[in-house]
Amino acid sequence: MIFLHADTPAWMLFPIVLPLIAGLLCFLFSRRTFVIALAAVLANFLVVCLLIYQLLVFGSMRCHMGGWQPPLGISLRTDGPALLMLLMTAVTGLAITLYARGYFSYRIFDPPRAGRHQRQQRFFWPLWMLLLAGLNGLFLSNDIFNIYVTLELIGISAASLAALSGKPASQLASFRYLLISLLGSLTYLLGIVFLYRSCGVLDLDLLQNLSNNGPGVRAALALMSVGLLLKTALFPLHFWLPPAHANALAPVSAILSALVVKGSFYLLFRFWFEIFPSTITTPALNFMGTLGAAAILWGAIQAMRQHRLKLMVAYSTVSQLGYLFIAFPLARVDGSAQLWSIVIFMALAHSCAKSAMFMVAGTVFLHLGHDRIKDLSGVRATLPITVFAYGIAGVSLMGLPPSGAFIAKWMLLSSSLASSQWWWALVVMSGSLLAMIYVFRVMSRFFVIPEGVSFIRPAPFSPLLEWPALALALISLFLGLVAPWPLHILSQGSTALAQSFPGGLP
Amino acid sequence: MRRTRNRHKRLDGFQRLFLLLVICLTALLGAILCTIHGPTPGLADAVAQFQEQSGVESPVTAVLLNFRGYDTLLEVMVLLLAVIGAWSLTEAPFPDQITEISPVQMGAVRLLAPVMCLVAAYLVWQGSHLAGGAFQGGAILGAAGVLLLVSELPWLRSTPVFSLRIGLVLGPLVFVGTALFCLFFTGDLLGYPEGTAGWLILLIETACALSIGLTLASLFAGGRPEDEVVLEHKPVDQSFNGERS
Repeated sequence: MIFLHADTPAWMLFPIVLPLIAGLLCFLFSRRTFVIALAAVLANFLVVCLLIYQLLVFGSMRCHMGGWQPPLGISLRTDGPALLMLLMTAVTGLAITLYARGYFSYRIFDPPRAGRHQRQQRFFWPLWMLLLAGLNGLFLSNDIFNIYVTLELIGISAASLAALSGKPASQLASFRYLLISLLGSLTYLLGIVFLYRSCGVLDLDLLQNLSNNGPGVRAALALMSVGLLLKTALFPLHFWLPPAHANALAPVSAILSALVVKGSFYLLFRFWFEIFPSTITTPALNFMGTLGAAAILWGAIQAMRQHRLKLMVAYSTVSQLGYLFIAFPLARVDGSAQLWSIVIFMALAHSCAKSAMFMVAGTVFLHLGHDRIKDLSGVRATLPITVFAYGIAGVSLMGLPPSGAFIAKWMLLSSSLASSQWWWALVVMSGSLLAMIYVFRVMSRFFVIPEGVSFIRPAPFSPLLEWPALALALISLFLGLVAPWPLHILSQGSTALAQSFPGGLP
Repeated sequence: MRRTRNRHKRLDGFQRLFLLLVICLTALLGAILCTIHGPTPGLADAVAQFQEQSGVESPVTAVLLNFRGYDTLLEVMVLLLAVIGAWSLTEAPFPDQITEISPVQMGAVRLLAPVMCLVAAYLVWQGSHLAGGAFQGGAILGAAGVLLLVSELPWLRSTPVFSLRIGLVLGPLVFVGTALFCLFFTGDLLGYPEGTAGWLILLIETACALSIGLTLASLFAGGRPEDEVVLEHKPVDQSFNGERS
């Protein structure tokens, strides 16, 4: 019989097992589903905090499933990047869970459609819990085939969630999303076939140590990258993202935009810079950087042209994902350590800010019954907290100083100038400028109060609809002030990063 | 053939280009797959080496439920997710009026359904030493379910939804429960205690076969059961009424 101590690796199983059980129970019972989900999300958050404590005290850990060592068995591992992604999922997930409660409760109060909204809520909780389990499994997994299974778990639950609103537009978009997601998974699976045939192992550590550089591994990496890029929605492959994210229910949009696309990006980054660094060539890195730059500009321009708030926020996701890829060409100069800190900061800040923004869009939609940007006037008078959250999240998207995105962009600028690749810096700055335009375009509408209309009537809203968005926006804003702390976690268990910041952190 | 083909069926330039690209890519990948040489032993040796400890004689079952049981646990969840997704979309299209079932069809159902259940049980049992197991057994059970569904038996509609849900969740729940039981006793998720591996695997496989069969039949039915809607009309949560007024 075993007891869990502070240094037991088995703790890392709970972020996967807890949401799994919660998902099963939420499907089984029709009452108290919110309580089950909230308990799972809270417990998940506490366990992630414990795992971070473990990492800081005992270093990186491995947990072998069933006691079978690799190459035979599957192993999980904790390290800095994985735990920061877990923390991102736990914090954003907690806020989204609370918001979803407020959202569904508000909508169920609408008598003519109460049945439909109750049904949406009924299926939201199990799908969301299983999605959470899949995401946590993805971040922790150290086995390339197991990652495929988690990708499947994420893809199917995400597509079902996107279809939940039941409108024809959302069903069409989510069907396309499902097909794209399956295509990405199958391409990834084909890559695994090539990899297994050339290397004979599935464990990431073993693959890393083999450092096989043959044509099979190159083909495998190309296939897996294309599959993951499809799921991450990098610029030319982004076509499915805006309709799928904008037509979903507000909590679902927040989940999809903040968490799901980050999962496949995290894998891609890990493969390129940790597992197969010797296979990567400079033209490939520049190619990714170019796509990222195109995504930043195209996404921002499209965001400026949208007439609906949710579509604007969705296109802003396309734009923000570009920043993650623009870090790629800087790898030759900085090494992977600086890169990890750039992309992790960008991902953390974007995840909090973007989910806050989708929550705001959802609340505004509930309040006005539409989200046409030109008719948004006067919202400031009735929903001050929501508008405040929108402003703060916008600051974070633009990358103004105290925010986490500012730190990431600052690191991007300094390393691109240091490596005399000034054109990336130019793209980053113009991306920020365009972000400012599309954020302020909506912001100014919020503050206009049409003449002759008095908005004294306070919105009868539950606090759960407004405060989670504000909390997330504030987290993304103040992420920059606590920057040394995530960097400290990131540097644990990876010697490269510790060397790159010998005299303390920036 | 040329005469019967109309204009719409012809590929336009873009499609031809795309087709050509796909063919070239496939050829390239095939060529690369052929050039991969050198020692690629795979994991077959390792599986054979630890076969004794796995508690089952079939290498496939040993990989699926012991060495890589965690993958299978997640796969079972994926199957359940498919049902949840389908149920969230639409209601099962049952016909409005109950039609008379022809005696021939009824006879076939009476004859086949029990045999199918028996074959499914045998396949699950056989999984420990030959080809077979939860997925194969579940597929046969699913086929039995499809047979009952196409016969439009009246009692299918009056099945309580909660029992259907229990049946769907049973396999995954038993799987997770066993995994946690093992975690508690040996410190490893799905690390079966000494000597119990065979029995625990059979338990998991039986429960999963039932759930997989129900899953497949539910997917064939194409949506959630009717009662689901009636079940939903619970009173509105009172806590928010106060805040709204």
